[in-house]
Amino acid sequence: MRNVYAIGIGITSFTRLEFQLVEIASYPVMFALRDCGLKQVDQLYVANMGGARLNHQTALGSAVVDSCNLLPAGAATIENGPASGAAAIKEGFMAVASGMHDVVVVTGAERMREVNGLEATDFVASLTHPLAEYIYGVTLPSLAAMFTRLYMEKYGVTERHLAMVGVKNQNNALKNEFAHLQQAITLEGILDSEEAFTNNPYVAEPLRFFDCCPVSDGGACVILASEEVAKKTGRPMIRLAGVGQSTDTHAVLARKDPTDLLAVRRAAAQSMEMAGVKPKDVDVAELHDAFTILEIAESEEVGFFKKGEGHLALERGETELGGKIPINVSGGLKGRGHPVGATGVAQAYEMVYQLRGEAGERQVKDAKVGFTCNFGGFGNNVICLTFIRED
Amino acid sequence: MEVYAYKCRKCCHVHYPYKMICHGCGENKHDAFDLVPMTKDGKLLTFTIVHNLPPDFEVPTLAIGIVELDDGMRIMGQLKVQEPELGMKLKGKVEVVRHGDYTDYHGMVFYAA
Ligand SMILES: [Zn+2]
Repeated sequence: MRNVYAIGIGITSFTRLEFQLVEIASYPVMFALRDCGLKQVDQLYVANMGGARLNHQTALGSAVVDSCNLLPAGAATIENGPASGAAAIKEGFMAVASGMHDVVVVTGAERMREVNGLEATDFVASLTHPLAEYIYGVTLPSLAAMFTRLYMEKYGVTERHLAMVGVKNQNNALKNEFAHLQQAITLEGILDSEEAFTNNPYVAEPLRFFDCCPVSDGGACVILASEEVAKKTGRPMIRLAGVGQSTDTHAVLARKDPTDLLAVRRAAAQSMEMAGVKPKDVDVAELHDAFTILEIAESEEVGFFKKGEGHLALERGETELGGKIPINVSGGLKGRGHPVGATGVAQAYEMVYQLRGEAGERQVKDAKVGFTCNFGGFGNNVICLTFIRED
Repeated sequence: MEVYAYKCRKCCHVHYPYKMICHGCGENKHDAFDLVPMTKDGKLLTFTIVHNLPPDFEVPTLAIGIVELDDGMRIMGQLKVQEPELGMKLKGKVEVVRHGDYTDYHGMVFYAA
């Protein structure tokens, strides 16, 4: 396999966007092409989950490759639920690593605010098992809530720990101009005061409003290329050094231990092994915190902390900016927002931004190794990426 | 109406929900499974009260749980229980759980035993 480098990045604001889905997918491509100074590419992948259902738009790849003046490059759309973004990056990685292509554009986009919040939630729930889960009225928040209840019982995680993740990530988002949520929150306001219950009602008990990521529109892009092309850009060399993916049972109830995120563990180990790093070598990470509990659980499964101790590390401030292993300094899904198809690409965007040392106020000092976890389904399709800055 | 598990005719491995290829022995052919009714009674493994239901549910909240049945199989179901508690004993019935555009969906509804 050839080495693969991330040479260009671009992102839109994650918020409610009054643009066509094709435009939301194209803007990040325009920014990323400018970022690396290229006009021609070999292949384009668009990660998207809901175009057909929410926006009456299929075959996004064909639309974006034309709108961005990249004809006659190859193009395709990758749909892999909330892990569509990292799945498209894996495709791009394989295309460059194999030697088939020298430059591959990976863009992710979603336009979910065209429908109301309940419809958006029901749309995401279409990834659940149709007969064993969906018919009961289950939503992603409900699957996360059932997981949370077990986690609380088994490991002593409390609503306070969940709220601490929410406060950390939403306040990190204040340092990210592209993040959806631009409002500071406190434990007082969402947990401890008399108004807390009104401010922060239950969505699916024991998960509250501020435990869940917002529904967002947005797009993000990463351009992958061979070493030869990367060197010509004259930018810091950020290598996509490890790609791991693992799957688990479609229905959550069929897992031997429902608190076990086996696919996260496997994908993370695979990604780090390929990159030749250990969890302790990682300087900065973006974990898929669609729900606050997931940041805690994933921080354990990827190997940063022992199982059942993620909430203790959180208490000690180890996951804050300036801590031992800063997690979701971009705001994560919780603060930056979660346009599902864009999320995995936005995580990769953040790693390139951090490893280049361009992240300004939210820069993790001397970051050399970055790690992302993009969590699809409710943990049934997980992709982890490891990035290394080569000096 | 009934909710079924899928028992491999060759190795007797029981699956829920259905699979196309046996997870016990890898049997790969049409008609590899016998349908056996799911056990109805069990204990509550975990649950949630959902407040953000899909728009077609015309109730403000709904309790949903995962139940470990007496034979060790697990199933999701709606809970018609006053105060759900982890580990509580439940009795299941097959009832309509969701109204679709063209058909009603049957599934498990659990009551306090
Ligand atoms: Zn079998």
